[in-house]
Amino acid sequence: MWQVYLKELLELSRDRKTLMFVILLPVLIFPVIFGVLGLVAANVTASAQAEEHKYVIINADKAPAFAEQLFYHKNFKQVSTELTEPEALRQAIRAGQFDLVVIIPADFAAGSTELVQSQWTVIYNTAPVLDLIGNYLKDVVKDYSRQLQLARLEAVGVTGKQVDAVLEPVQINKISSAENRENLGEKLGGWIAYLLVPLCFMGCSYPAIDIGAGEKERGTLETLLICPISRSSLVLGKFLTVLTTGLATALITVLSFGGWGYLIGSLAGVDVVAKAMSALGFTDLMLILAMLIPLTMIFASALLSLSIYARSFKEAQNYIGPMSILVFVPLALALLPGVELNWKTALIPMTNISLCIKELVKGTIDMGILTLVIASTVVLAGVLIAFCVSWFQREKVLFR
Amino acid sequence: MIEIRQLAKAFALEKGQKLSEAELQDVRYTGRSFCSVRDVSFNCENGQVIGLLGPNGAGKTTTLRMLSTALKPDAGAILMDGKDVLRDPLLARRRIGFLSSSTGLYGRLTAFENVAYFARLHGMTEVALRQRIDELFTLLDMHSFANRRAELMSSGMKQKTAIARAVVHSPALVVLDEPTTGLDIMTTQTVLDFIRALKVAGTPVIFSTHHLDEVSSLCDRVVVINQGISAFNGSLAAFRQLSADGDLRQAFMSVIKQESV
Repeated sequence: MWQVYLKELLELSRDRKTLMFVILLPVLIFPVIFGVLGLVAANVTASAQAEEHKYVIINADKAPAFAEQLFYHKNFKQVSTELTEPEALRQAIRAGQFDLVVIIPADFAAGSTELVQSQWTVIYNTAPVLDLIGNYLKDVVKDYSRQLQLARLEAVGVTGKQVDAVLEPVQINKISSAENRENLGEKLGGWIAYLLVPLCFMGCSYPAIDIGAGEKERGTLETLLICPISRSSLVLGKFLTVLTTGLATALITVLSFGGWGYLIGSLAGVDVVAKAMSALGFTDLMLILAMLIPLTMIFASALLSLSIYARSFKEAQNYIGPMSILVFVPLALALLPGVELNWKTALIPMTNISLCIKELVKGTIDMGILTLVIASTVVLAGVLIAFCVSWFQREKVLFR
Repeated sequence: MIEIRQLAKAFALEKGQKLSEAELQDVRYTGRSFCSVRDVSFNCENGQVIGLLGPNGAGKTTTLRMLSTALKPDAGAILMDGKDVLRDPLLARRRIGFLSSSTGLYGRLTAFENVAYFARLHGMTEVALRQRIDELFTLLDMHSFANRRAELMSSGMKQKTAIARAVVHSPALVVLDEPTTGLDIMTTQTVLDFIRALKVAGTPVIFSTHHLDEVSSLCDRVVVINQGISAFNGSLAAFRQLSADGDLRQAFMSVIKQESV
């Protein structure tokens, strides 16, 4: 078995595709892709925030303080128009003449002490996800409303601290019982699994195809089968190779992201990575590894079984391609709001690992459930390895 | 001595598998299975070379795969020096060397690494395998490309490496499945010289082929397999006598026609 393992590792270490998947992708390509995406996103947001939006204000003289605030806002630029009808103004916005229209009613009186609510109309494109115009306008309206509130309250004799007592009779001071780590874990924990688990799968998939279906295609399988070594030893040697590459991919990726994060963090003066890493103890990291090992065993045995069944490299790729999409389903389930780690979810493969990693990062793991998760994953891995070994004994699989 | 008695092997057909016109007329297709080998018997003495002849799909490869223990027969027996191969396939595998024209090498391993890997799988020690590989590489003139990766070798170099790999453990029997099919003249000659050398060394060889000139120049005995049955099993001289003018092609055709009647 070890002879097979060492030979397969030697051969894979000389294969450019494997090296690309196991080393180059996590060390260089992934960080570059994520880095470029981050830069693009940051640039797009920055340029959107710096953008100037043209606006038209109807009956500005009725609310001069508001008109002034809008005029001096850095993201707004006033333009004039002859149009007054809402529909015509809407069409003008669609035609790109300006971006925003604020219609102040002709009967609005800013200085009036009469307690009547005024209905204003604003017209702009509300479709963009990042509702920048809406947010800017909301801030200006909030400030202006506060001015009116103070003036009206003063007119009825409410001043000083009484103003707050009227406007906000109850104020809530929120004290979180959660530790900082718990918040970080809730936000990041699920995504760590979302990154690690597919990486383990990806690290297994190419080597599994190469040493299963690839062996058939190259015509070396038959020679191997008539060597004086049991078929169980043969398949276990191959299985260990796939397991090694799967775990190596995940570990290299984590180290690479940690390294890049540290580098960027220290260059940019941000210690997010250091904080994130200090939240996780050595024991937690070992427990994450303890869960990833049986999970990668599941992947390795399932992928190797499929690969051995396939007649050719291409056929194996056809089987494994859709399977890689299926891996994301239980992981996405773990990210859904309300899905928590309990005695039931602890038995759902992959979802349980994802939830467990989240709890570990949060520091709120229940050791009983963790044991169940590891045990159930080990049992499933054992079943699949046994299946893979028995699968490799079948003539109709080997000589299809 | 190798003795093969009444071997039989059937393969289950896949559900919904459609059969061609030729397959429908083949008596070996019965319901949901295909009886590739129905009754094959022959024997091979030490130092003998046996040529296994037969039309495509006759059951030659299945027979050789059973002989090399890659496939398990449904019925029959294979005895090597009186020992039952089927009961102890691992013991048999230590004593058999196997080669075919489609046998591949590990492209990313060198000639030495390819041969050494199989030597290790056969349980050879590092000292023994290095000595044996050196001996084989000298015999086959392979030292010049010992450290070249298989994917960068010419077909002749590949075939020599495959030969060295097949006999690195000094097998007591060498099984060759159409070893010259698809090879160029030079590479074919390498294989034929290899069989000749084995014969001189007294190692029995069983090989399947479609090339009657190879049978004529190398074989002591001939076995013709037709529709999964050993239709002829005898000496080369007896096989020649099946034709009036000693022509092997005519002899072969007479066996096939006799069986088909």
